Order: sequence, then C-alpha cells, then structure tokens
Amino acid sequence: MKKPEINYKNIYYPPGGILMWILITLELITFGIALIALVAYSKENPELYHESRLKLNTSYGAINTVFLLVSGFFMATTVHLFKRQKFDKSLFYLKLTMLGGFLFLALKAIEYSEKLNLGMSLDFNTFFTFYWLLTGFHVIHVLVGLIILSFLYFSLKKRKTQPKLEDVEASAAFWHMCDLIWLLLFPVIYLIL
Amino acid sequence: MQKKDSLTLILLIALTTITAIISGFYNKLEIIYTIILFLSAIKFLAVSFQFMELKRANSFWKVLISIFLIIFIGIISILL
Repeated sequence: MKKPEINYKNIYYPPGGILMWILITLELITFGIALIALVAYSKENPELYHESRLKLNTSYGAINTVFLLVSGFFMATTVHLFKRQKFDKSLFYLKLTMLGGFLFLALKAIEYSEKLNLGMSLDFNTFFTFYWLLTGFHVIHVLVGLIILSFLYFSLKKRKTQPKLEDVEASAAFWHMCDLIWLLLFPVIYLIL
Repeated sequence: MQKKDSLTLILLIALTTITAIISGFYNKLEIIYTIILFLSAIKFLAVSFQFMELKRANSFWKVLISIFLIIFIGIISILL
C-alpha cells in the first residue's frame, strides 16, 4: 500500500488543512484579545485582581496543563503511527489522548465546584467574570475536541471506513489548538495578575 | 514514537513546573512575570512547531503564529 503524501510546504496544505489553521488563528486572536482585556481591566483595580487571582488553585492549573500537554504528545504519536499505517497502536494512543482530555475535564469540574461552593460565581467580581467566561469557553473547546476524537476513534476502529490522513491531522490540529489556548490562559489567569 | 516529541514533552512539563513554582515564590515582581510569559511563549512554540508539525509547513504559517505570539506577549508585558 502506497504511503499518502501531502506537500506541507504548499501554503494551502499546512498539517491539518488550511481551514483548520484559519480557525486556529482566529481562535487564538479571540482568546488573545480577551486576555489582553483582562490584564487592561486589572490595572483599574490591581489589588482586587491580585487577591482574586490568589483565590485560584495554581496546582490545579499546573496539573491541568500537564494533562493537556501529555494528551497532546499522545495525539502527535497517534498521527505518526497512523502515517506508518500502524493502526492498532494508533488507536491505543488515541485512547490515551482522550483519557488526558477526560482527566482535564474532571479536574476542571472539581475546581469549578469548589469555586461555586465558596460563592465565587460569574458575578462575584470582574476577575471571576473573565475567569468563568474564558475557562468556560475553553472547556467547550475541549468537549468539542473530545467529540471529534470520538468520531475519529470509531472511524479507526472500523477498518472498512478507515479515515484519511487529512481527517486525522485536522482532528489532531483541533485538539492541539485546545493546548495552545490553555497555554495562553494558564499564565495570565493563574500566575501573573 | 519520535524521540524529539518525547524530549519536547519533558521540556514542556519542566517549564510548566518551573513557572508554577516561581509564581508562588515571588509574587508581584515584574521580572518574574516577564520570565513566566517568556517560558509560556517557549511552550506555545514547542507545541505548535513540534506536536502540530508547523515546522514542516509553509513559512507563511510559521511567521503568522510567531507574529501573533510576539504581539500578544508584547502587549501583556507592556500592560503589566
């Protein structure tokens, strides 16, 4: 069986496809502007934002970062193995990728429930409005990513409907985008205000 | 499994640990915030270039993502 080949150096064919990279760029710009707005607002009342930031659990944020990074590593491995047509191993690493996503969501749920029990909801103060909206939208991205990976998983499992390399790479690019967004959110929300 | 991916993962976890630790020890020091942002930028580039294979893409995409990151980190650093 001939290995599929894509000319990634062509501007129209970045790994994951041009549409996915347009989406990634727009998502990064959107989250980036929101984070800049958060930092700009924090200058109006630095003490409030600093005190509010200290109420967040940095360990949860750091552990969740590791979950997403390890999951991203497994996703990259899934793509490499798929390219080499090692489908069984690829399927195994895809399951590990999804496990990382579920662990992220589980820890996020614990963090959210702790904040809600302490009364720190969306309208607690402007810092927490940003916190809930930004991390909430990110959680939605992770959920959508897991749904996409589930489709990929079942597609890989059924040998008759083997997905194309482009589909695997596009799914991977979306999943990595969740990493990238989190890598912007984590330092700004949890560490520097 | 590619060796470079494994090394990248180790680097990423190490940088995450370092940023979390130094943010706890040295609160409200601007230089520490700058270091945290710089280390976060390295993590961002490592994920995009290594895991997402942006290193193999056309220069346009590499430059686009790099410019975004420079502008983002630049504005945040100025505002802090």
